[in-house]
Amino acid sequence: MKTKQTIAIIGASGNMGSAISRSLSRGNYRLLLCAKDLEKVQAVAADIKTSYPGAEVEAVDCTKEASWEADIIINAVPYAAEKEIAEKIREVANQKIVISIANPLNETYDGLVTAPDTSAAEELQKLLPNSKVVKAFNTTFAADFSTPVIDGKQVDAFIAGNDKEALQVVSELVKTAGFHPIVAGNLPVSGTLERMQLLLIQLNMKYDYNWLAGWKILHQ
Amino acid sequence: MYTLFFQHLNSKVQLTEEEQAHIKTYLTLKKIRKKQYLLQEGDVCKVIAFVEKGALRAYSVDDNSNEHIIQFALEGWTISDLYSFLTGDPATYNIDALEDSELVLISKSAHEELLQTMPKYETFTRLNITGAYLAMQRRLTSIKSSTAEERYQDFIALYPHIAQRVPQHMIASYMGLTPETLSRVRKRISSK
Repeated sequence: MKTKQTIAIIGASGNMGSAISRSLSRGNYRLLLCAKDLEKVQAVAADIKTSYPGAEVEAVDCTKEASWEADIIINAVPYAAEKEIAEKIREVANQKIVISIANPLNETYDGLVTAPDTSAAEELQKLLPNSKVVKAFNTTFAADFSTPVIDGKQVDAFIAGNDKEALQVVSELVKTAGFHPIVAGNLPVSGTLERMQLLLIQLNMKYDYNWLAGWKILHQ
Repeated sequence: MYTLFFQHLNSKVQLTEEEQAHIKTYLTLKKIRKKQYLLQEGDVCKVIAFVEKGALRAYSVDDNSNEHIIQFALEGWTISDLYSFLTGDPATYNIDALEDSELVLISKSAHEELLQTMPKYETFTRLNITGAYLAMQRRLTSIKSSTAEERYQDFIALYPHIAQRVPQHMIASYMGLTPETLSRVRKRISSK
């Protein structure tokens, strides 16, 4: 696609938000970064511009304004903050792709706070009924974005959603970030993807992977 | 955000509150800044844009890199590469913003779903496309048979306040005149 797409990244000052912003700044996108702390997010934008002078990236004060301008919205805030964000952007996120990256972990990282029959992505879809919610970037650690090839293998990144066109657009984003995209299925598959990351976090703590680990499906 | 859009819709087909709420669920609200593209030539045009605030233009570029403006869209107008939107072929137009603008977009999938589920939307679409066809025929006739002065007067009748908002060279491009010829035409008209 030649026409530059605008992406709003909400929570762009966090570990995941800033890693996603940095890796997408290499693509044909215009990035609008927002977070509660404007200074922090300005620093992220400045840092990206230093590394990639051609990048179109800007810190924006207002989440709603950024989402209004955006074609794609990445919700990179923790699960607990998603409801508040959804209230703010509901109207301007209508019909747009909204990416849910959250893993709804409990405080001790040994379980999820969501009920077994749902997921963070499905809960976000309920809050934004007319948006195209897609699960993505939840099975990759922040450090993987600067090292998407680990031990000689390109890390897989799983995507789930109900809208075919939205899945294609998000697959392109995942490729731009350096990962190998795998469309896992419809939005309810998100529950499985979120549990996969719960397992990876537990393994990381048990075996000390230093937060640089990822999933790779081996197949013929 | 969509006040003008629903005014426009209601002026063609009277909608109930419920029908308006139903249509709202299919609309995309989009802000675009001056000089940004809504569409670039070669991409498939996937939306029809209604201008709630601001100004846009559609133009094509010839082999000698000259721009030819096809259409302007100010508040209350719609703009799109309809050919690409309807056929799915790559667009031959570029559409960009001449001012910071607020748009109401209808995507192809939303458009098709509304056409199937809402007879009033189908009526609205028919009236819109009929209007676009009439405008195109009028524009073709005007280019072929009118004098430059008549063409300019047709243009001002169609876009009454545009001269204050759009640079003269773009108006000249729309009319198929050089900026110098346009300037002479305007002088002649104002001295009458």
